[in-house]
Amino acid sequence: MSTAAAGVAARVRPNPARLARRHGWTVGVYVLLLVLLLYWQTIPANWGSFDVQSLAIDALPLAFAAMAQSVVIISGGIDLSVGSLISLINVLSAKYMIDMSFRNALLFGLLLLVGSAAAGAFTGTLIVLSRVPDIVVTLAMLFVWAGLALEILQIPGGGAPQSYLQLGTGHWWSPWIPSGLMILLLAFAIFWLPLRWARPGLALYSVGSNRNAAYLSGVGVARTRIFAYALGGLFAGLAGLALSATSGIGDPNAGQYYTLNSVAAAVLGGVALVGGVGGLIGPIAAAFVVTLVKTILILKGVDQNWAQVIQGTLIIVVVMIGGLAIRQRART
Amino acid sequence: MKFRSRGARWVALLVALSAVAVVAGITATASPAKKQASYVIGVSNTLVGNGWREEMICSVKAQALASGKVTSVKVANRNGGPAEQNADLRNLISAGANAIVVNPSSPSALNAVIAQAASRGVKVVSVDQRVTAPEAYNATNDQVAYGQLGATWLFKQLKGKGNVVEMRGIAGVPADTDRHTGFQQALKKYPGIKVVKQTFTGWQFATGGKQILDILNSGVKVDGVWTSGIDYTIVNAFRTAHKKLVPIVGADNNQFLKQLMTVKGLRGVAVTNPATIGGVGTAMAIKLLDKQSVPKWVKLKPQVWDNATAAGKKAIKANYSPSRPPTYSARLQVKPWTTYTSKQLFSCKGP
Repeated sequence: MSTAAAGVAARVRPNPARLARRHGWTVGVYVLLLVLLLYWQTIPANWGSFDVQSLAIDALPLAFAAMAQSVVIISGGIDLSVGSLISLINVLSAKYMIDMSFRNALLFGLLLLVGSAAAGAFTGTLIVLSRVPDIVVTLAMLFVWAGLALEILQIPGGGAPQSYLQLGTGHWWSPWIPSGLMILLLAFAIFWLPLRWARPGLALYSVGSNRNAAYLSGVGVARTRIFAYALGGLFAGLAGLALSATSGIGDPNAGQYYTLNSVAAAVLGGVALVGGVGGLIGPIAAAFVVTLVKTILILKGVDQNWAQVIQGTLIIVVVMIGGLAIRQRART
Repeated sequence: MKFRSRGARWVALLVALSAVAVVAGITATASPAKKQASYVIGVSNTLVGNGWREEMICSVKAQALASGKVTSVKVANRNGGPAEQNADLRNLISAGANAIVVNPSSPSALNAVIAQAASRGVKVVSVDQRVTAPEAYNATNDQVAYGQLGATWLFKQLKGKGNVVEMRGIAGVPADTDRHTGFQQALKKYPGIKVVKQTFTGWQFATGGKQILDILNSGVKVDGVWTSGIDYTIVNAFRTAHKKLVPIVGADNNQFLKQLMTVKGLRGVAVTNPATIGGVGTAMAIKLLDKQSVPKWVKLKPQVWDNATAAGKKAIKANYSPSRPPTYSARLQVKPWTTYTSKQLFSCKGP
C-alpha cells in the first residue's frame, strides 16, 4: 500500500481517498465481524452476557497469537514458532503459578513476558546472523520450544490462582465487559500504539516493504528485524498467559492450534505476507471472526469440520478480493 | 483500499455477501428444533478422526433417538485440548443444551465451566474418562480392571512363567495410567513373568504393528503380548514375521474378533472397552433430566471374551459385525442403559 513516509504524509494532510485506500480492508473486516455478531446474537434463546464472555474467552489467545504473527509478517518475516512458544509459556506459567499468591503470579507473568520477548529476540538474532530464511529458522525453533514445553510438562497439568484465572474469564464493572477483552485492548494500547507511529514502528514497516530502501534511508535493518521478533515473542507470551488464564491448565500441545491459525488471522486481518502492509487492529478483528464462525456453527448444530472448510474459503476469498483490488488500482 | 472500477466494487460486494451466505447457508441445513418435544443434548469430543470416538458420538445420537425424548443432538467435535473444550462446553450451553455428554481432555481443567453449567441447570455427564467436578456424573469403563483382567488371563495362560510385551496407549492419559496400574497388580502375583519390553502405541494400529515387528525382528523371545487395545495389527505382525503366534490380549475390536474366530493357532481374549459408553452417558443424562436418580459414577466392569471357552466363543460370535470396519468397537450394547437398535447405532443419525 504505502511506505512509512507516505503514512506520515497522510497524517499531516488527511485525504479521504487515501484514508479509504489505507483502511478499507480493516473496515471490511470489522463490517464482517459486525454482521456475524448481529447474526450470532439472534441464535441462542437466551443470548446474554454469558455468551459475550464465552466469545471473549475463546478468542483471547488467538487474538494475541494473531498480533504476534502480524508484527513479524509486517517486518517482512514469518514466525512458525509462535504456537510452540505459546505452549512453552503456557506450561511454564501453569506449572509454577499453581501455588503462588495472586501478586506473585502477576510478577511471574511479567517475568515470563520478558523471557518470551527474549526468546523472540533470540530467534530474530539467529535469523539475522545466520542469514538463513525466516521460515527455516522459525520452523527449527518450533521444534525447540515444543520440546522444551514437553520437557517441562509431559501431560496437561498445573494451574493458577483463582484471581489470576479471573483475569481471563471474569468481568470488570459489568458482566457485559469481559476482563479478557479489556486486557486485550490494554495490551494493544500499551505495547503497540506508542510504537506504531514512533521510530521503531515506522522502521518495522519500512524494513518490511523494502529492505534495501530502508537500509539506504538509514534504518537499522538487523536491529529492526530482531525487534520485530522480540515484539512478536512478547505477544506470544501474552497468548500463553491468556491460555493459562482461560483454560486454567498448562498443556504442552495447546499451542499447536495457533501456529497456522495466527497466520490465517493475520492474512484475514489485512496483513500482506509480502510484508510492510497492515496493522494489528485488523488481525484482532479477524481472530474474533474466525472464532465466531466456529461458535455459530456449534450453536446451529452443524458438523464442525465445516468450520474449517469455511475458514479456509473465507481466507481465499478475502485475499483474492484484496489482490483484485490492488490489480485494479495498478491498472487505472 | 479503494475500488476504482465498478468490477472490483462488484466483486467486493459479492465476497462480503458470499462470506456471510456461506455461513448462513451451511447453518440453514440444520433442522429447526421442534418446540413441543423436550431435551437438547450436547456432545463434546476433542479427538477427531478416531474410530472409537466417532462410534461413541454415534451411540449418543442413537440413544437420544431411541429415547424419544430428545429433539436434537448438538455435537462439538474438533481436535484440541482443555482450552478448546472449555470454549466448546460454553458454546453448547449457549446453544441451549439441557445436558452435555463430554469425553474430557483433562480430569480437572473443565471443572470451572462444569460448575457454570450446573448453575444454569445443565446436567453434565463425563464418559470414557472421569472428571473431578463435584457437579458432574461419570460413566467410565473400569480401566484398572481392564488392565488387571487381561493381564491375569495372559499370565495364567503362560503358567506364570515367560516373557511378555506390554503395549500401552498414550503416556499420561488417565485410561493408560489406570490400565497400567491394573497390569502391575496382576504382575505382582506372578513373579515368574518378565516384562521384556514396554511400548506406547499412541493407540495407533499402524504404530503398534510396527513396534511389535521391530521387537520380533530384534530376536527377543516373546511368550505373550498384552495390548491396550491395539490388537489386530499385532496378530498381523506375527504372521508377517513368520513367527509362531503367542497368546495375545486385545480389546473388542471388530477385526480382532474375526481373528479370534478364524486365525489358526491364535489364543487370545478380547477385553471390552465399549465405545457405546456414549449411549450410557446419554441414558444417564436423560434420566437426570427426568428427575430420576442415577449413580454418581457408573463403572462398567469389562467383560473378558476368551476364544477357547464356550461362553467366550459365543460372545465373540454374537458381537462380530462383518459389515463394520476393522477398528469398530464391537460391544454394541451396554445393558441396561442402552436401548437403541444396532441399526440406529450404525446409521449414526440423531433425532
